[in-house]
Amino acid sequence: MSETRGKQPDHWLALESPGSGDRGGCWIESVGVKLPSRTLATRDLMGRTSHCTRIQLERLTGIHERHIVGPGENSFTLAAGAARDCLAHSRRQASDIEMLINTSITRSRGRSSQSFEPPLSLYVKQAIGAAQAVNFDVSNACAGMLTGVFVLQDCITRGEIDCGMVVSGEYISHLSWNAAKQIRSLFSKQLASLTLGDAGAAVIVERAPEGSAGIDVIGFTTLAEHSRLCLAFPSTVGPGAQMYTKSRTLHKVAIEDMAPLVAEAIGEAGIDLADIDYLIPHQTSVRAIRQGTQAFARRLGTKPKHVVVNLEEYGNTSSTTLFVALHKYLEEQRIHKGDRVMLLALASGIEIGMAIFTIDSQVERYGRVH
Amino acid sequence: MGAYIEAATALASHGWRKPTARRLADEAAQACLAHAGRQPGDVDMLINTGVYREDSMGEPALAALIQEDIGANLGRPPTGGHGTFSFDLINGTCGVISAIQVETGFLRSGVIRLGAIVTSEVEPDLRDPGTVPFQPAGGAMLLGWDDSPAGFTDFCAKTFPEYEDLFVSGLTWQRRRGLRVPRGAAGRHQMVIDAKPGYEGRLADCAEETTRRFLRRLGMDVGDIDLLVPAPAAPDFLDPLRVKLGIPGDRVAYVTEDLEGAYTTGLIAALQAAVKSGRLGEARNTLMLAAGAGITVTLALYRQALP
Repeated sequence: MSETRGKQPDHWLALESPGSGDRGGCWIESVGVKLPSRTLATRDLMGRTSHCTRIQLERLTGIHERHIVGPGENSFTLAAGAARDCLAHSRRQASDIEMLINTSITRSRGRSSQSFEPPLSLYVKQAIGAAQAVNFDVSNACAGMLTGVFVLQDCITRGEIDCGMVVSGEYISHLSWNAAKQIRSLFSKQLASLTLGDAGAAVIVERAPEGSAGIDVIGFTTLAEHSRLCLAFPSTVGPGAQMYTKSRTLHKVAIEDMAPLVAEAIGEAGIDLADIDYLIPHQTSVRAIRQGTQAFARRLGTKPKHVVVNLEEYGNTSSTTLFVALHKYLEEQRIHKGDRVMLLALASGIEIGMAIFTIDSQVERYGRVH
Repeated sequence: MGAYIEAATALASHGWRKPTARRLADEAAQACLAHAGRQPGDVDMLINTGVYREDSMGEPALAALIQEDIGANLGRPPTGGHGTFSFDLINGTCGVISAIQVETGFLRSGVIRLGAIVTSEVEPDLRDPGTVPFQPAGGAMLLGWDDSPAGFTDFCAKTFPEYEDLFVSGLTWQRRRGLRVPRGAAGRHQMVIDAKPGYEGRLADCAEETTRRFLRRLGMDVGDIDLLVPAPAAPDFLDPLRVKLGIPGDRVAYVTEDLEGAYTTGLIAALQAAVKSGRLGEARNTLMLAAGAGITVTLALYRQALP
């Protein structure tokens, strides 16, 4: 195990700068996604609420539709499907995966609406043929996948492993159905549950090839004073879960407290916010993302070149949102080699995490073939 | 230089109040910090590894609630200063060793200076209560970093998926039967734990195989292990394992009687017993071993240079 310990910087974020290939760093080698084929339009969901709510959800959130699971699909099938798609875009084989971390909030499989033991990561690694990988689950709300990447890149940067996978399968549309039975007005704490969509995502992180660009900075913190702003637990209304969110307070706290943390991360990377080509924030609502970006611009004096929003067709897919968005932009070849990307996770806890990296040759494996 | 154990505390449920996983974890974390003479704000990373909770809450991570309860860096983030990063890691009985591996890594790379691992469980609402013993208990340990050659040096994790069905747990939806009260509950989620006969015997077999491979990889044998800190503490697992490995009882850290039924807390309970008896301080090579559903076996070697 190599010693990479250096001076301890004084950061609010738990922050790491793994560096690029020539500095022994790591990169995101490939991203995979599994979306259920069925879709549900916001209009149709709102038409099935038990009460006359008069909520104009599409206008409010920008969500036109979302994907929802069909028969036989669950968190496990979404996670395994995403892992296979990730391998299909990768130069790596399943046998190269040395550590596999499942990070979904929902862990439905078979008869269980939420499985606890064995961890879902065990079933995923068996399904894709990565039997040799060390596996465990991480639960960190919507910041789960980026938390998994944070753990993996640390193991890779220190030389403990060369290659790992983070995977998540979020079957969360049951929260929408449960909320639809109870919600009465715009002020319901279950309103955010109506924005959710199902998706699986996976990402391979590996030691960056020499000379290639990689992860510049990745960091996290938990603003635990606000830990109770969003709570989800098993429902008594129907199978699955219910979620209660104080959305306005959460949004206000995020806008106020995120700016200095973003400043810390871009300062560590030695860049300016204007150097970010694509900012991919957690996908909640178009209005919230727009207001957040404007607040950053006011406080930091600059803004990123593009802000990625994919809510219209996917909704909020929980822990997978960042990588579903990244995958879409790679497939559509809207992100190019040399572009600098910032992933910005926001989750109940309140968990705030961010990763800044530069796109390199991995972009060549997207769009043309798949 | 290495990641060393600053303190380890485990406690059983006590008092008249119904235990909750959160309260047990809070109490263990606070007692552990007090024992180490540390402040909550010193903790840079807090990982919770408990599995069974009274409410089976999906989000936020229980670690975030524990961070708030113990008061670790609750202020608003200035530029500079330092905060705490909290999340849950789920790997059954093996979760504590997985978390030690993760935090040892972040200590080694200098991302954190002090890591906390907390865990707790209460008896879940089982459809078939009494089939699996879960004693309400909570545990916490602190990992620091110093320049001594002591510390966690090697880790190993191996799974035996051919036995994945021997222990399975999860929530299943139970529709309410009979008359439905308007606006009343339509049903409830119930924890189902299916532990097959012979599970603990297989755990011992897998643990023995993994231990021997691990020690062989390190150029060691069982005779080099001065102290074994195992989990779970169930005699059906521990007794055959000890015999198979040929480790005498005086080189095993047994949990105290009040924590014998602890689940994810078991490893920290055994560690606490070893610290209190002074045996951890006397051991040059300590092997921490956890075995659980999967079947998964995790190992951590903790070395100390003795005078």
